[in-house]
Amino acid sequence: MSRTYLLRTVLVWTLLELLAALQVPAVGGSPVLFSWLRTLIEPVAMVAQGTVDLAVDLGLGARGLQRATVENREMRIALETLRARQILLQADLAALREIGDFAGPSAEFDAGALVGRCTYRDLIAGTMEVRTAGSFILAHDTPVVSAKGLVGRVLRSDGRRHWLQLLTHAAAAVAVKTEDSLVHGLALGTGSNALTIAYVPRQAELERGDLLITSGGDGIYPPGIPAARVTRIRESDEPFLEVTAVSTADLHAIRMVLILPEWAPTASGGLP
Amino acid sequence: MRAKIAALAVVTLVLQRVLGMPGMPAWFGYLILPMIWIVAASLGRKERHWPYEALLLGLAWDLLFGPVVGPGGIAWTAACLSLYGLASVVADRSPVAWAVFGVVGAVVVILVQRLAVMPLGLANSFSIGQLAWSAVLTGLWCGFVGTVLALDLGKHWRAYQVRKLR
Repeated sequence: MSRTYLLRTVLVWTLLELLAALQVPAVGGSPVLFSWLRTLIEPVAMVAQGTVDLAVDLGLGARGLQRATVENREMRIALETLRARQILLQADLAALREIGDFAGPSAEFDAGALVGRCTYRDLIAGTMEVRTAGSFILAHDTPVVSAKGLVGRVLRSDGRRHWLQLLTHAAAAVAVKTEDSLVHGLALGTGSNALTIAYVPRQAELERGDLLITSGGDGIYPPGIPAARVTRIRESDEPFLEVTAVSTADLHAIRMVLILPEWAPTASGGLP
Repeated sequence: MRAKIAALAVVTLVLQRVLGMPGMPAWFGYLILPMIWIVAASLGRKERHWPYEALLLGLAWDLLFGPVVGPGGIAWTAACLSLYGLASVVADRSPVAWAVFGVVGAVVVILVQRLAVMPLGLANSFSIGQLAWSAVLTGLWCGFVGTVLALDLGKHWRAYQVRKLR
């Protein structure tokens, strides 16, 4: 029997069986053929329904995942914002503490002292930018101090922004003396955190760790402000000691400064 | 010729119906008279195409004797195809071959018809004894027809008439 015969036979027999199934009623009254068709269609329908449900679930899952991703990103941004705000608040808190520290030194100056916030510093160049709450035109060489000591002087002022020359600037010079006023010298900036104390006589009684305060002899800075602490003393063939010191003001971490615009040197070089 | 065969097939179906009428012997119901047509077709190798005649015969069988139309067509075409296959490998065309073909055809028809109605929930009682009876009686019937054809009674009758006219 050829293949055509076989196919034709199967086809005819199938049609005849379907014809017979159409004539025989099932339990429900409908033909057996319909129950066969239901038996064939129901699994396909179930699979199709399952596929549709799966696709819908996948779509919902993908949408939920996308929403979760977006929310996660927003939460990360919010977290980063909170962290940045926390850092700013910590900076503000530290600044407020420093402002509290000004209560001591500011009492020694006029009520016109201004509080400035350090916004930029370049310790290598020896410059610093501070901002004040209000707009002021500060005079050149206006002294600037911090809670821990002398910072420098105003070089330029432009409203709220003011540029300072730190006492570590290579061209800076501050007249200093010991607390007992027995030893005087000139603190010269070196472009680094170290200061060179010049013109200290060889016979001067100076020890490592001694505090040097401003003497007011330079006519720029008010006297009595802590300026440097001696770190090294060396004798040489020169008539003066080679003294090295560091600034008492923590220029790396300083946030708030006190600007003294109304300080004017007196003839005696002391506080007005 | 085809019309004559069709008419004879209808006659056998009617006779089959008569054999099942009340009052007739019970074993008459086991005899499948139309089987002779597919046996003759297969032994004569007259059918070269798919057995549409067997299909029509089976559908007619269903109309007259079955609860539904369809399984008879399957059974009779299956029997016809089986006998075609058998005739292609058996060269014997003696009355014994006719009887054996009748037996095989009856077995195939009965079994295939039972199988065809089984999915429909209509499978009735079936026993090997009934199958054997039906096969034997149908085989005898086909063998009888084969014997008659082998004897060629028509030729003897015509010779008798010629002798009588002399």
